[in-house]
Amino acid sequence: MTDNEKEYIKPELMACCGAREIKDGDVVIVGTGFPAMAANIARYTHAPGAILMQESGVIDARPKRPALSVGDPCLNPGAAMVGGLVEIMGMVLQAGSVDVGFLSGSQVDKYGNINTTVIGSYENPKARLPGSGGANPIGALARKTLIITLHDKRRLAAKVDFITTPGYLDGAGARERWGMAPGTGPEVIITNKAVLRFDTKTKEAYLATYHPDCTISEIVENTPWELKVAEDVHPTTPPTQEELRVLREVLDPHRMISIYEKKGYV
Amino acid sequence: MSKVMTTGEAISKFVHPGDFLFLGGYICRTPFSAIHEIIRQKIGDLTITRSNAADDFDMLIGAGLVKRFISTFLSLGIYGLGRCYRRSLEKGIPHRVEVEEYTNLSLPMMLQAGAMGMPFVPVKDMVGTDLLNVRSFMGDNKYKMIDSPFDGRPTLLVPALNPDVAIIHVQQADEAGNAQIWGIGGDCQVGANAAKKVIVTCERIVSRETIGKDPSRTIVPAFKVVAVVEDPYGAHPGYTPGFYDVDFSMGYLYQQASNTEAGLAEFLKEWVYDIADRNAYIQHYIERFGYATFRKLEAAFDYGYPVNYGY
Repeated sequence: MTDNEKEYIKPELMACCGAREIKDGDVVIVGTGFPAMAANIARYTHAPGAILMQESGVIDARPKRPALSVGDPCLNPGAAMVGGLVEIMGMVLQAGSVDVGFLSGSQVDKYGNINTTVIGSYENPKARLPGSGGANPIGALARKTLIITLHDKRRLAAKVDFITTPGYLDGAGARERWGMAPGTGPEVIITNKAVLRFDTKTKEAYLATYHPDCTISEIVENTPWELKVAEDVHPTTPPTQEELRVLREVLDPHRMISIYEKKGYV
Repeated sequence: MSKVMTTGEAISKFVHPGDFLFLGGYICRTPFSAIHEIIRQKIGDLTITRSNAADDFDMLIGAGLVKRFISTFLSLGIYGLGRCYRRSLEKGIPHRVEVEEYTNLSLPMMLQAGAMGMPFVPVKDMVGTDLLNVRSFMGDNKYKMIDSPFDGRPTLLVPALNPDVAIIHVQQADEAGNAQIWGIGGDCQVGANAAKKVIVTCERIVSRETIGKDPSRTIVPAFKVVAVVEDPYGAHPGYTPGFYDVDFSMGYLYQQASNTEAGLAEFLKEWVYDIADRNAYIQHYIERFGYATFRKLEAAFDYGYPVNYGY
C-alpha cells in the first residue's frame, strides 16, 4: 500500500471503487458526476478499451470539460457516434450489449432495488422524486450495475417505498422469473462508508470492505437491516497515486468532485 | 410551399386545448420559445410527453396548463427536483397532474411504434417493479403482459403513442419544413414522426438547396410539418449545438423563482406574459443581464468536415 496516497477525499475513494469494477473492453452506460469520473478513471488506468456511453445518444465521448448532464453539449464533438435514446437504450442496452451501468437513488434496499419515484405513498407522496428516466432499463438490462449512495438509514432501507429500478427484487430467482437475463443484477453498493456486495445465494447485500476511516460497528449501526459481514472483511484499498493523478490532472482539474462533500459524501 | 409563420401564429393555429403534445429536446434543443407561447396563449387541458422532462415541463405544469403527463422523469438537472411538479403532486397546486409512468427505454419505443404505424411494441424493462403496479389515465392499456406467442416467455407490451402535435426545435429547416439537427438526439426524431402534425422552430431557415447539401441530417421530412418558425435562441435556457450553450444562471433563476407560487407567478410575468415573442425575450435578457453575459452563451467554432455525396 506504499503506493497509496493518504490525502484524498471520500468522493475520490468512491469513484475509484467504481472504476475498479470495470474491466478492459466493458461497455459502460454512465451519467454525470461519480459514474463518469469512475468510468473514466478505469479508462485511463486498467481499462483503456472500455467504451463509455450516455443514454441521450452518445458513444465514446471525448469531452473537454466534465459533463454536467447526460445531454451536455460537450459530449458531442469528438464522440464516436451520436444518435438518440432509441440507439442507446434500444439498440445497445435492450439488445444486451451493456456490461456495466451506474445507478443511484434516494432509497436503496438490501436487494439493491432503487427508488427514484416517491417517498411515502404513491397516491399521497411526502416527496415526489423525478421518476425512472433511464434507471429502470439500466437496472433491468445491464449485465451488472454499480449503485452509489450515502450510507445512512434514510438512504438505505430494508424495503424501498417504491421499486423504480430492479435489483434482485425479493431475492434469489426473482429476476429470472420476470424474464430478465440470468446472471444480471447489482454487483456492489458503494457508499461513503463501505462497499457492500450481494450474497450469491440470498442476493442480500453484505459488508465486503469498509473505508479506512470507518469502523464495522459504525457501518452496521447505520444500516437499517441486519447487515451480514464477510468473513474476509477488510479495509477498502485507498486510491492509488495513479488513480488520483488521472482524476486530478486529466479528468477533473477544477476538482468538481469536491461538491459531493457538500452533499454529505464525507 | 412556405409554411413560415411566427410562433404566435403556429401555436394559435395548430395547438388546441386538450391536445396531446410531444415537446422535443433533451436539455438540447428544448422548444422553449414555443412553450412560452403556449403559456402566453393559456392553452390548457394538455397531455404532454417526452423522455427526461425538465424545466420546460415543470413550467407548463406550474402554469396550470397540463392535465396529463406521460412521463419517464422530471427534474431541474443540477438544480434538483421540479418545484412545480412537486407542488402539483404533493399539494394539488394548481391542480394534481395525472401521471402515467414509463422509462427512457419504453417511452421512446412507444413513440417509435407510433412513428412506424405499429399498434404496440414489446419492451424488456419495467418488469418486476412498481412501475407495473401504478396505472393512471391509461388504465388497463398502460401495458399488457403476455406469454410470447413465439417462445412462451413472459413479454411486456406497451402501446404506440401518436401525439396530436409535436413541437421540436432544430438547428435549421427550409420553408417547407425539412428539419435538420446535429448532436444529441434524445427522442426527438421518433417523437416528431409519431405525431400527426409537426411544428418546427429553428435557429435559421435555409434554402431547399442547403438541405440537399447534407440530407442525412434531416430528421423530419417536410410533408409532416405544418409550421416553420425562425426563432434564434429558441431553446434558451437550454442549448442548441453550434449556436449556444446551456445557461445555468437562468436555470438557477427559474429554480429560485419556482420555489414558491408567488415567485413562479413573478417569473412568468417577467419572462413570458409581459414578453411579446422570442426577440423581445432576448432583448429583455440583454437589458437584465448585459450584452457580455448574453455573448458568453454563444457557441465556439468546432466544425465537422464536409462530406462528399458524389457518385
